[in-house]
Amino acid sequence: MTDATSDSGHPADPASAAPVQAGAATVGRFDELRGALVEPGAPLRGFVPHWQQLFDTLKVDGNVDAAELASRAARVLWRVREDGATYNVHAEGVDAVHAWPLQLLPFIVPADEWAAIAAGVSQRARLFNATLADIYGAQTLLREAVLPPSLVFAHPQYLRPVHGLVPPGGVFLHVAAFDLARGPEGRWWVLAQRLQAPSGLGYLLENRLIVGQEMHEAFAALRVQRAGASFLSLLDGLRALTPAGDRARIVLLTPGPRHETYFEQVFLARYLGITLVEGGDLTVRDRQLFLKTMQGLERVHVVLRRVDDEWVDPLELRSDSALGVPGLLQALRAGEVVLANVPGAGVLESPGLAAFWPGVARRLLDEELLLPASTHWWCGEDSVWQAQRARLADFVVAPTFPASPTTQSFQPVVAAYLDAAARAALAARVDADPAAFTLQARVRPSETPVWDAGAIEPRPAVLRVFALTDGRGGWQVLPGGMARVAMRRDRTFDPWLSMQHGSASADTWVIAQGEVSRVSLLGAPLSASDLQAQQRTVTSRAAENLYWLGRYTERAEFVVALARLALESLRPAGADIRTLLGELAEWHGLVPEGTPTPLQSLRVFERALVSALPAAAGCTSAGYNLRALVACGHALRERLSPDHWRLMQELDNHFEQHVASALGGPAQAGGAAPVADVVGVLGRTAMHLSAVTGAQTDRMVRDDGWRLMSVGRQVERLDTLCHALARGLELRLHESEAGFTLLLTLFDSVITYRARFQARRELLPMVHLLVFDTDNPRSLAWVARTLRDRLRKLSRQDTAWADEVSAGLPVPEAWSIDVLCALDADGQPSAMIAALHACVDTVRNLSDAIGHHLFAHVAGADHNVWQ
Amino acid sequence: MSSPATGPRQAALHVRHETRYEHGAQVVLAHHLAHLRPRETTHQTVADWQLQIDPWPDGAERACDAGLDVFGNWRHAFSHARVHERLSVVSTFDARVTAPDDPGPGLPWEDVAARLRYRAGAAMPEASEFALGSPYAPRSAEFAQFAGDLFAPRRPLLDAATALMHRIFSEFQYRVDITDVGTDALHALQLRRGVCQDFAHVMIAALRSLGLAARYVSGYLLTQPPPGQPRLVGGDASHAWASVWCPKAGWVDLDPTNDVAAGCDHVTLAWGRDYGDVAPLRGVIRGGSNARPVVSVSVTPIVAP
Repeated sequence: MTDATSDSGHPADPASAAPVQAGAATVGRFDELRGALVEPGAPLRGFVPHWQQLFDTLKVDGNVDAAELASRAARVLWRVREDGATYNVHAEGVDAVHAWPLQLLPFIVPADEWAAIAAGVSQRARLFNATLADIYGAQTLLREAVLPPSLVFAHPQYLRPVHGLVPPGGVFLHVAAFDLARGPEGRWWVLAQRLQAPSGLGYLLENRLIVGQEMHEAFAALRVQRAGASFLSLLDGLRALTPAGDRARIVLLTPGPRHETYFEQVFLARYLGITLVEGGDLTVRDRQLFLKTMQGLERVHVVLRRVDDEWVDPLELRSDSALGVPGLLQALRAGEVVLANVPGAGVLESPGLAAFWPGVARRLLDEELLLPASTHWWCGEDSVWQAQRARLADFVVAPTFPASPTTQSFQPVVAAYLDAAARAALAARVDADPAAFTLQARVRPSETPVWDAGAIEPRPAVLRVFALTDGRGGWQVLPGGMARVAMRRDRTFDPWLSMQHGSASADTWVIAQGEVSRVSLLGAPLSASDLQAQQRTVTSRAAENLYWLGRYTERAEFVVALARLALESLRPAGADIRTLLGELAEWHGLVPEGTPTPLQSLRVFERALVSALPAAAGCTSAGYNLRALVACGHALRERLSPDHWRLMQELDNHFEQHVASALGGPAQAGGAAPVADVVGVLGRTAMHLSAVTGAQTDRMVRDDGWRLMSVGRQVERLDTLCHALARGLELRLHESEAGFTLLLTLFDSVITYRARFQARRELLPMVHLLVFDTDNPRSLAWVARTLRDRLRKLSRQDTAWADEVSAGLPVPEAWSIDVLCALDADGQPSAMIAALHACVDTVRNLSDAIGHHLFAHVAGADHNVWQ
Repeated sequence: MSSPATGPRQAALHVRHETRYEHGAQVVLAHHLAHLRPRETTHQTVADWQLQIDPWPDGAERACDAGLDVFGNWRHAFSHARVHERLSVVSTFDARVTAPDDPGPGLPWEDVAARLRYRAGAAMPEASEFALGSPYAPRSAEFAQFAGDLFAPRRPLLDAATALMHRIFSEFQYRVDITDVGTDALHALQLRRGVCQDFAHVMIAALRSLGLAARYVSGYLLTQPPPGQPRLVGGDASHAWASVWCPKAGWVDLDPTNDVAAGCDHVTLAWGRDYGDVAPLRGVIRGGSNARPVVSVSVTPIVAP
């Protein structure tokens, strides 16, 4: 095979009088726009009807306006960002989050071609399910050597614990993905399949929702098939496999927010209306699977998983996995759970098996394969390798197996790019362990038009399509798919390989043969009982994070205010204020332990306070709390709107940047200027935090999760304020003008006090406002009452518990103000001080009780024991 | 190699295998998987097998989920969702073991290896799975180098395998404190020290690296031999040895820790590709400290009443 192709440039097309400037595809490739192989020297043909039709919908005054395409493409990008569509890249120790690259122009498949693809794909899905039943059962294929045993048994993803397992309905595969490409002659070929936990369904949805809207005229004109019905049918199929039927609870098992395709997992779970869970959220008890929720253990019947095969059960598979659920395979064996897909299909993904499928189809189905696969030669068969050895330059050399303690893996090598010496060395590597190598014929995918940098360009494309189970042994191929287009069109790169390392995604439009299905992505109208069932589950893990989100938000607000107060008011202040602020700062970790107090050295204290602000400083100051707040938000991302999440990230980033620049200037070290700058940063951070608080109060659904977050906030507030007031009174701050104001400031109640009581400086009205006034959201009475109400509502299924834990909570409005304000022999309101200290103890016990009761399931990590 | 033909031909043995975990702290959830029920073989019958678990696992009478694994071994699963600090698992049974007949020297080893290589369309012996590397006993050039000179052209397989057993026995030091359950054959080969598990893994990996099929046998050894017989190593814990496949004789068990062919002192528990397939007891627990299990095994002759 030679690669002597040349780009044809972008000549205008006089023949078709097309109103669009679009270059031809590479010579030797199929051109999707013109529906033909590009041959050297041949004149350019006109556009195929569906592309012509698409461009017609974009015409302004008879011409497609480049500005119009550009603005639509920009809107696509903007909506991708709006939705927070990303994929995560973890490379070289740097975590990067990339916006999902989405193409404006769709990949289009005509109706008759789709019918052939769908038939071929569903046949292969059926074949693979039958193969799994055999290799994990009777093993006829292996004994008769229809499949080479040395290839199957040596594959690290041939999972022996799965042997003998008969999954519900005999269905091993529920979602199967196939990567297809159209060859030069126009035929579709299967390149590879993903059968463990294929990705793409969520991105496919996102693509459709955005591109379908941005190109809505064309979407309607071309009569594009809808995808919604397929998703509903998948859920129906999964439910049909469980005895629980319609009442089955389905969860999506994710490896977590750091996984590269986490976004689409969140997106898919939201769209399907199923709970997104991590391994730690699930537990197996007596061979049944349960979700750990705030309300206790709830039965789970179906797990749609995105955790790869070997990681799903640390008891029987990889014991180092923290992503799975110990005992899950036993639950599966007992028929108590549908696991989609059943682990063990990874072995069928091996390219080494590609050449054997026609034989397997004959043996198991008595059928010929409808859709061919691209050519593969497994070198483990001696005669094959000897025959192909001299032709090595024609192939891509790919690993037969993924890496494991018993197998080697490597990046695929395009042998044609190697010089003679390197090729000989490669051949020697194959000689040493032929079974580890598979030769793949080079793929030349068709090129489809994309909109790139102001022009319509042909780019190589590969199409991922999905076969979904119907739960009764049948398959449905989702009409559509996720097309990937190469980022560049460069002869020195193999398009198929380079696509695996970076490509844009395009929506895939399948043209309808008859009626367009009316099932939209939003599904059937909801009934009243659906609405009741819609009560969102709060997993124990989410509960814990929500509780701490509330606490950290409140704590961050208090700490930022305290730091600012200290920097602004310490210099002119008297000893009482210096003592209280110094004490509070140390108590809350704003300065390292052992820092001289402001009374001892104001300058040293201030400097310590300022340098402790960043998260990295090792204190629990502002930066630390903001970082902790963001960490909780990260774990809760699926519950936060993209705006809300972005706000939290910006809060943290801005703070760190601005504090760093305020502290950073070498000329400013120790001077007065940084303090002023830092006060400014703290002021902006306080405003930013109120936006976060606003989003929490006004932008989150007030379900049990929200209530728990509010409980966290009130617990924190009660603790902090009781402690501050008690110490303030002990230090007799209320006796000085400035001290009095400081106490009101700590309760954020200066304005209210002044409005009501003007300049009077008396204990009684202050205590009334800070302790008793149930209209003041900072008063202890208000905070304690809110806390009790939320707790009671939260534990409505377990009112006894709610009563028990809130029984200990103070009811400040029932206290006697005269008793509280009575002064003892030293002139101190000692009864109030004692009540406040008792309140701090109570609230800390309450926090522990909440932890034990509501997040008990979260505690601890699994470990392995072996004999 | 001391020929099994010279020793007693039959034995009736009583086995007690106890595993105790002293977790030292509360365990809130534990899942266990046991390979503790011995299989019946052509040379072994088993009676009165009992598994006592204390505290008794969840699920009342169906607490123990019994099944056969891919190699035909018994596998039991059980779990505890109630807080506990210690766990004891005791397996007891009687076995009647017959020493295998002398299998003879076998076919030339290259002929056996050739049978195990894939050729399109040719039916494969089931043993071919055991010619492939496994996590604890991978194929590697180091093993081929370690054993290669013993496998001279046309040498009968069992002659060569017995010589390999002898080499491991004489070049390796039996030491209980060097390796652990995670040690693989490559590491053990470098150390030249280890326990029966390591000896077996090295022998299996060496055979596989030459294209031969070998499996790992987990079992027990008579603790106190009859008068006049030497006491074998490994009797007070669970034991392990290797088994090599021969087209004519089938699987032939060789014990490199003692440099003997398995006789009627060897009680077979389970077999697999390596230790990882047949660990007597493995678990995933939440809570507790990382205390190691204490294992005690006794194998005693049953005296006819």
